[in-house]
Amino acid sequence: MSAELIILFMFSSMLLSMLTGQRVFAVIGFVGVVAAAILWGNGGFELGFSAAMKLMKWYPLLTLPMFIFMGYLLSESGIAEDLYKAFHVWMGGLRGGLAVGTIGLMVIISAMNGLSVAGMAIGATIALPELLKRGYDKTMVTGVIQAGSSLGILVPPSVVLVLYGMIARQPVGQLWLAGAFPGLLLAALFIIYIVIRCRLNPALGPVLPKEERDIPLSEKLKLLRAGILPFLIFFLMMGLFLMGYTSLVESSAVGALSALVVAAVKGRLGNGVLTRTIEQTLGITCMFMWIILAALCFGAVFDGLGAVRAIEGLLVNDWGLSPWTILILMQLSFILMGMFLDDTAMLVIVAPLYIPLVGKLGFDLIWYGVLYTITCQISYMTPPFGYNLFLMRAMAPPEVSLGDIYRSVWPFVIIMMIGLAIIMAFPQIALWLPEHVNVRG
Amino acid sequence: MLKTYVRVVDRFNRGVGRVTMYLIFVMMGILLWSSMSKAFFLPSLWTLEMAQFVMAAYFLLGGAYSLQLDSHVRMDLAYGRWSPRTKAIVDVVTIFMLFIYLFFLLYGGISSTNYAIQYSETSYSSWSPYMAPIKIVMVIGIFLTLLQATSIFIKDLAVALGRPLA
Amino acid sequence: APHVKAQAPIRWRLQTYAGPALAEEVVRPCVDAFNKAANGQMEIELYTADQLVPTGELFRAMQAGTIDAVQSDDDSMNSPVDIKVFGGYFPFASRFGLDVPTLFYQFGLAEIWDQAYSEVGVKWLSAGAWDPCNFSTNKPIKTLEDLKGLRVFTFPTAGKFLTQFGVVPVTIPFEDVQVAMQTGEIDAIAWSGITEMKTSGWEDVTKYFLTNNISGGWCGSFFANADRWNEVPEHLQVLWRACMDSSHFRRLHWYWGGEARLRAGESKLELTTVPDAEWKTVEEKAYEFWEEVAAQSERTAKVVQILKDYQAIMEKAGPPYRNT
Ligand SMILES: NC(=[NH2+])NCCC[C@H](N)C(=O)O
Ligand code: NA
Ligand code: NA
Repeated sequence: MSAELIILFMFSSMLLSMLTGQRVFAVIGFVGVVAAAILWGNGGFELGFSAAMKLMKWYPLLTLPMFIFMGYLLSESGIAEDLYKAFHVWMGGLRGGLAVGTIGLMVIISAMNGLSVAGMAIGATIALPELLKRGYDKTMVTGVIQAGSSLGILVPPSVVLVLYGMIARQPVGQLWLAGAFPGLLLAALFIIYIVIRCRLNPALGPVLPKEERDIPLSEKLKLLRAGILPFLIFFLMMGLFLMGYTSLVESSAVGALSALVVAAVKGRLGNGVLTRTIEQTLGITCMFMWIILAALCFGAVFDGLGAVRAIEGLLVNDWGLSPWTILILMQLSFILMGMFLDDTAMLVIVAPLYIPLVGKLGFDLIWYGVLYTITCQISYMTPPFGYNLFLMRAMAPPEVSLGDIYRSVWPFVIIMMIGLAIIMAFPQIALWLPEHVNVRG
Repeated sequence: MLKTYVRVVDRFNRGVGRVTMYLIFVMMGILLWSSMSKAFFLPSLWTLEMAQFVMAAYFLLGGAYSLQLDSHVRMDLAYGRWSPRTKAIVDVVTIFMLFIYLFFLLYGGISSTNYAIQYSETSYSSWSPYMAPIKIVMVIGIFLTLLQATSIFIKDLAVALGRPLA
Repeated sequence: APHVKAQAPIRWRLQTYAGPALAEEVVRPCVDAFNKAANGQMEIELYTADQLVPTGELFRAMQAGTIDAVQSDDDSMNSPVDIKVFGGYFPFASRFGLDVPTLFYQFGLAEIWDQAYSEVGVKWLSAGAWDPCNFSTNKPIKTLEDLKGLRVFTFPTAGKFLTQFGVVPVTIPFEDVQVAMQTGEIDAIAWSGITEMKTSGWEDVTKYFLTNNISGGWCGSFFANADRWNEVPEHLQVLWRACMDSSHFRRLHWYWGGEARLRAGESKLELTTVPDAEWKTVEEKAYEFWEEVAAQSERTAKVVQILKDYQAIMEKAGPPYRNT
């Protein structure tokens, strides 16, 4: 059998097996170890475990449990309530203002954490009930929260960009900087969308009643103090890192510690909150790590088959496609795969194939990291397989049905694709900051 | 008989998991120490590698408990719509993928651990700690995860047969 | 007896410890040449650092048959043999690249290596030199004091030796070095000469290059799983040996010329130097280190003795062998 056929076979058996609903990591790992054993005999038996040794040496993965822990703590810490109140009061006068405020909240949460779980937890438990109570359209706000929280992986810090950086061998600091403006751009596009829709149909996002907004200016200004803590946390994490005082993994531990301190000072750790947080952290970290473990094995087999050369040969030589066509095809395939696959698995399995090719075609790999991250955001929201969908389903109040959740994402998926196109057309949106801010000498 | 087996395995793995989850603080402590020692004294030689060992222990020892907590995602395009019974029936069959994967992991782990013991393998680093301890911990984690998978299999089988275990 | 069907070529998976960019220079040419000359009877597939298995697991993976062959130094591949310390950069064991093959093929190291590896089920095939080992950093190093507190990516043995100067050795995957320089996990690299700094792209993440080295020539080898090697028919064994030699030859001049040209102005790194008299302490400490290693086993004692004898002859020969 030719390498191409084996590759095709591995991929399709993986996708088919996933349809049975077995745990994703088990399916990927199974196809990986079995393929290794069939292809390489005895020699292949240990590839599964050697992936564990590889994973252990992947030091940036240490940021993962730290960010997960931090995300859960942030949602317990009470920081979000204060912030939300501030947005509430300041934006309430606008049609759809609370939804716009929610996006603002999500951007700030995103700047404090490298994943989207924190945003999802906060959005679904704090913002969503308030929005519904105020008569906001449930489909729209469900989408707002899913889309807003996904900024967690684009606005620095970002775990997805860390993983990308490891595979693409690109500096994480620069990648993080590159995500900043695109993140703000997406947030702006979301806001524009909300404002326009609410203008056209005021019933979607009613203005807050006057008495709720009638607060003396001094009070209103006081509420802005809610922004101090997030800024401090952001600085402790990103500032110290960019200035070279802490290394990447150390800065994630500093972030985790600062969230812990804030939660403790605000008296939010009682009632088993801490135990529950570390239990959830263990669960989610294991989910991530086992998928990465399995995907590393799958990826090694894939690599061993010369998949990279095969695909490159196909796209560049046989089909004679132009660089831009290939790039667009890649993004489309990411979006398509993202419907069915976990983003980390997608990264570990196909990125070793795509990234060198992108480099060879002459594109900038930092910029490409941003494009990749946006496709991950999309994949978090596209059914049937999407983390934010799962989280939303688990955490949303009962009046939000599965149908609502599925319907809610499409406008935002389209907006993200527009954002993706804009950044493809104007790479400077991503590249300006890393080119002008030189981190670490 | 089977009921006792399931209960014992579940209880034990829960215990292991509840202890393992505290390792997050160990990792945090090591990393914080690392940045402090860098700022104030000579940086330590062992911090990064030690944190990596703890991370490996954390997610492998936590493997069983995370299965128990059902933390692992599935693609639920069809799965999500099935009745608990149908889910159990399908799981009873497809869990063989989990078994095979874990089996290979365990096989590789044991062989690698044997090697580490036989040759007193030390880590590829200047700190060069012995590798056997961490490999043994990893193997234990994988083994417990495999045990947990058998327990899940029995529970699913019971549901599939229409006689759920309690 | 080995049997080869006309149609089914023997396939080997060879993993080098070098990353992709470097591998193009240091090993790809000989693999390509072999594949071509083997004319379909055998094919070697080349994998780069950490691609199939992590570097620290290379030996074990080859012994278990996960991969068939390895190009690496003994230290990096974590060989379970007492002589592994001499692989990579054993401090001040060589002054120039040519010292390495001379030590192996004229002073008896080859026999020792062959013996040591056959005890652990691996076929040692052939040794050769790469480049010297210098420091590349973000802050200039002008005195030994400047080494204090630097977190340096380096070889395990070299790292152990360097700790006495306040260096903190860090081991991470080869391919992560560039990123680690930028994420602050490391502050310096003591892994190669200036040619590799350029080829691996590390030139982009460092500013200074210290011209003093702790070893003049990297020492490493090709290895194979013993069973796999025995299955290869003799004419292909001969062919692979010739190709390995061609690889050693190519690296000798690639590095020799590269180091000179880059230092003479083609590199963007700024050169710094610790005065010879001061660097002499490092060298003296190295000889103490030799004694420690010699005490480890009979075999290490023998190797150290060979190094000393060799050193003596070179000094006696005078320029161009040794200037001091
Ligand atoms: N590859 C994964 N396992 N991704 C999980 C991501 C979950 C969630 N959307 C987050 O960003 O926090
Ligand atoms: Na973020
Ligand atoms: Na999706």
